Amino acid sequence: MTCEDVQNRLREFSRHLLDPAAHAEMDAHLQGCAACSSAERLEHSLDELLEQRLPRYDAPTSLKRRLGLLAGRPATSRREPTRWARAIAPAMAAGIALFVVGGLVQRSTGRSELASLTSEAVNDHLRVLASEHPLDVESGGSHQVKPWFEGKLDFAPVVPAVEGSELRLRGGSVGYVFDRKAAVLVYGLRRHVVTLLVFRPDGLDWPDRDTRQIGPVRGHEMSARGFNVVLWRSGGLAYALVSDVNAEELAQNATRFAAATVQEQGP
Amino acid sequence: MALKLWSGAEARGRAEDTLVHSDALYNLARYLTHDPSDAEDLVQETYERALRAWNDFAPGTNVKAWLFRILRNAFITRYRHDVRHPAPAPYDTTEQSPGQGAEGRSGRTEVEPEQMRRLVSSDIEAALRTLSDDARTVILLDVEGFTESEVAVVLGCAVGTVKSRLNRARAALRLELADYAARERP
Repeated sequence: MTCEDVQNRLREFSRHLLDPAAHAEMDAHLQGCAACSSAERLEHSLDELLEQRLPRYDAPTSLKRRLGLLAGRPATSRREPTRWARAIAPAMAAGIALFVVGGLVQRSTGRSELASLTSEAVNDHLRVLASEHPLDVESGGSHQVKPWFEGKLDFAPVVPAVEGSELRLRGGSVGYVFDRKAAVLVYGLRRHVVTLLVFRPDGLDWPDRDTRQIGPVRGHEMSARGFNVVLWRSGGLAYALVSDVNAEELAQNATRFAAATVQEQGP
Repeated sequence: MALKLWSGAEARGRAEDTLVHSDALYNLARYLTHDPSDAEDLVQETYERALRAWNDFAPGTNVKAWLFRILRNAFITRYRHDVRHPAPAPYDTTEQSPGQGAEGRSGRTEVEPEQMRRLVSSDIEAALRTLSDDARTVILLDVEGFTESEVAVVLGCAVGTVKSRLNRARAALRLELADYAARERP
């Protein structure tokens, strides 16, 4: 591999888009070549500059409102009550009030548990983002990462290799979710980092209400501090997928992950 | 143009699928047009075109890339129209290659990473604005997180072309940034 080859592929290298052999070859070249190593640092600095300091303009609210009308987004409509509903409304009101109060107590407890779990998952994701060395094992594929966890955890994590998506497994490390160890699997999705936490759910409050279908299992779609989080359980393990990619795309990838975990581990 | 609403059972899905990208589209429009009002017009025109073309949209296609492609085409069409009918503040679309401006000036050196760290947001925005529309577009699409394949869909070119355009554009941007970094020196 010549210096020209290396410098033409620096972006692919830094984004882990090369196959493992090519990545390793470039890595070796960069360690021994001052010119290419300098070019690599330059590319990295430019990426940081563009990602962190280039101003970003959001669409004005007035434009979004016009686009909503244009695209036919249904307005938050209030349907007129039917005659039947109007007739029995007073009688139902008292009963509903009692039911709602009881339900709210239960629901708020469930939400609080989910919020706490979501917050913990986001904290773990932030540790990955903030750490200079977030990976204890670099990935050459799931078959390389999974054995690395042997002896480090009291369970065998599923390390999903997600087929047919842009997700690329970068590697993993051991972290914590509350009081228990977790496998922290880090994936790249274009320029985004996606963290999958795998941990034992024993003893954690995990509400079964308000779940959504996540591929073959049911789970929760949450958000906190600008990050989206998808939580689900499968095969005696719990999973939390966290990223700043939009909720829809993260849910699609969670579906793939859930399918891969069920396939490998059984429901 | 008269607004024609999407309607029917799929309206909600269509609306949500497309509106979620309005901020990203507006951001590119701002960097292409350099003007908030023109950017709003361009984004609205993009959605109007998308609305008309929705029946041609193949399920499974990347909606975001499709919308960006429409925006870029709308911008080019609008620019060409404005060339024939000049407006008071025309867009700066130029046909120069991304690095043309940079290569034409001698004595310029590459920026150092340490110098880059001293640059502020306005420097980076100003440096980006000096590039041609094509160079600016390919850099912004890359920053937006599009893969090279998706950028190829937006620009309507081969993936190999995207790679070379992006490399040239980034090289040109580094040279521009070097100028701003030099000004920052005490």
